[in-house]
Amino acid sequence: MRLVELSRSAHAGLRIRTQQIEATAAGQHLIPLVVSEFRKAAVQYPIVFAKSPEDGRFAPYVLMGLAPEENLFWSGTELDAAYVPLNVRRQPFYVGDNPDGAGVLCVDLESPCLDESGTEVLVNPDGSDSDYLKKVLATLGELVAGRAPTGQFVANLLSLDLLAPILLDIVLDDGTPLKVQGLYGLDEERFRQLPAAELSILWSSGRLDLIYAVLLAGGQIFNLIRLKNRRSALGRAWHSHD
Amino acid sequence: MSPVRSICIVGGGTAGWLTAGIIAARHGRGLQITLVESETIGIVGVGEGTWPTMRSTLKKMGVSETEFFRQCNTSFKQGAKFSRWTTGEANDFYYHPLVLPEGFPSLDLAPYWTKYSAEHENAQSFSSSVCYQEAVCEMGLAPKLITSPEYAGIANYAYHLDAGRFASFIREHCVKNLGVRHIVDDVTRVGRTEGGDIAYVETSRSGRLSGDLFIDCSGFRALLLGQTLGVPFVNRGDVLFVDRALAVQVPYEDEDSNIVPHTQSVAQKNGWIWDIGLQNRRGVGYVFSSRHTDTDAALDELRAYVGAGHEDLQPREIRINPGHRETFWKGNCVAVGLSGGFLEPLEASALVLIELSAEMISALMPATRETMDIVARRFNETTRYRWDRIIDFLKLHYILSRRTDSAFWIDNRDPVGIPQSLREQMELWRYRAPGDQDFMSNSEMFPAASYQYVLFGMGFRMDASLAALDRDPGSAQRAFAQNEALKVKWTRVLPRNRDLINKIKEHGLQKI
Repeated sequence: MRLVELSRSAHAGLRIRTQQIEATAAGQHLIPLVVSEFRKAAVQYPIVFAKSPEDGRFAPYVLMGLAPEENLFWSGTELDAAYVPLNVRRQPFYVGDNPDGAGVLCVDLESPCLDESGTEVLVNPDGSDSDYLKKVLATLGELVAGRAPTGQFVANLLSLDLLAPILLDIVLDDGTPLKVQGLYGLDEERFRQLPAAELSILWSSGRLDLIYAVLLAGGQIFNLIRLKNRRSALGRAWHSHD
Repeated sequence: MSPVRSICIVGGGTAGWLTAGIIAARHGRGLQITLVESETIGIVGVGEGTWPTMRSTLKKMGVSETEFFRQCNTSFKQGAKFSRWTTGEANDFYYHPLVLPEGFPSLDLAPYWTKYSAEHENAQSFSSSVCYQEAVCEMGLAPKLITSPEYAGIANYAYHLDAGRFASFIREHCVKNLGVRHIVDDVTRVGRTEGGDIAYVETSRSGRLSGDLFIDCSGFRALLLGQTLGVPFVNRGDVLFVDRALAVQVPYEDEDSNIVPHTQSVAQKNGWIWDIGLQNRRGVGYVFSSRHTDTDAALDELRAYVGAGHEDLQPREIRINPGHRETFWKGNCVAVGLSGGFLEPLEASALVLIELSAEMISALMPATRETMDIVARRFNETTRYRWDRIIDFLKLHYILSRRTDSAFWIDNRDPVGIPQSLREQMELWRYRAPGDQDFMSNSEMFPAASYQYVLFGMGFRMDASLAALDRDPGSAQRAFAQNEALKVKWTRVLPRNRDLINKIKEHGLQKI
């Protein structure tokens, strides 16, 4: 990865190959999420919490695979899903921090999304921002705006002791045992025991909706297991023809 | 029937506050706990090394490990590195790590290692062959990751801490969160009941403080158990010669200097030097035998160790009277901490004994004065056993030395000063390695693995052929290989000790 500040003059010639954007998620089983996406993500993926290896802080993610570097939604050409998270769609653009705290639009010059054969450009011939760049800016804007409320939501869950390790102890159709570690989810028991006063605060802050989105999204784990079984069955079929 | 409802703790150093916290965390408001401490009497505050037990002690008290790191200059301790203890040569060292030998105790690698090292000149040391932690320590790495929850480690660990700050850190937690009543005052007199119990302690400004149970945490002077109840002191200087310490605080070269992730113990002519890395400074001290050398000569050795640029450091001298009380609980009074006794700081037995004593008092807490004597008898039996085992284990470090450069080392090997229990163990260990069968009590202090690390680390060689204990070479091979694999894995993954501590201070560790 080589992030540089995007310059509309220096990078006017960059072309984006949009087919490559979802491919950046092909080898990832966790994609970070902001709270504004919870409801949309919940129709497709489990929403889990994991610690950043950098600072140990919790953040929400969608779970796309049952092992590191596995993405069960990746079909080979696209993410076969009803909702693709902002953190995928924003590729290859990032928001860096200026020393004064203002956001800086950056591009990853080593991203495979940048390709001369790409169909999208960033700048119109007249020098104005292309519709594509406007879309990217909107996506990044939603991500930046989501940082603080997402952090507050996680802090709120931690202060109520509502996070607990998830023990995924799965046996696949072919008998293979599968353990997924390092993931955290809502502690439903504790949530059910919250006093009405705490629930009322969560409700008025809009966080109760988020909690229910996470709880409902939990059922998506069965879809992941289904996809995993299908993938292993395909793998076996392939090898039996060797 | 006289129920036990209130506890009065006299003395507010590490012993007093840890004891208050451990009992309060277990008994909640069922017991009223008062701690009285003097403003005028300072704390000794030399306890800077803990055992891994401190993790569960603090966790049970409801203390945040992150705050403990932030407030007590805390650092990780992954055991001890002993240098120059065996031959005195510059390259002479061994580790007593906190991670058990690979496969232990279901598989004992000692006989296999003994055989292999006898046949191969360049064989690795025992600790390096059976445990990956030495490699982690030698590279200056931390025992866990920023993603590890509080109190959980990848490698087993204990702490180095700033004793003065630690006492006030625990005090704040006890007073704020555990409901311990804190009185700052001087005790002027101790009142007795007709039966000889302690009825109250009289203070300068706060009047009489009564209690159903008194805990003497008054330090070396043992105000209650010693001075008031007259329980005699048993001097163990015949076994452990060290009776003086010169302590200094050494600054780091710069604020990013790594923090050594283990205690360093470097043998000297008439004792040894401890070197403990905290966040903000090193604590260094020379403990020696005043029968074998004098303070001036010891000071020269200490200065030579600390090195150039630190000539202005003014060492504090501490007198150690090695030994313990004859009993620790008499009537309605029990001693915890220095009032119960003190040995030299080797293997950091002071703080752990406080934890274990307070745990035991808390667990056995008699419901009535009438049942207290039963508890006292058990407490005394167990605590005496613990002191004896600590003394055995400390003495082991001295009898295995081959140093001949001073009377101190030679005298230490004189059988007269070796406890019978240790002599018997050594007889058995000539033919087989220390195992759990040698340590059958529920009150053991050091696990058999610790004896193995010290014995084989110091060049003790057993004759394992008689017992033919090396009958599963396949399992042993796999365990040795596993240890090598773990060395590679963890030295690659674990962060530099200082870096992790900085991260903990900045971001905190998660509770889960």
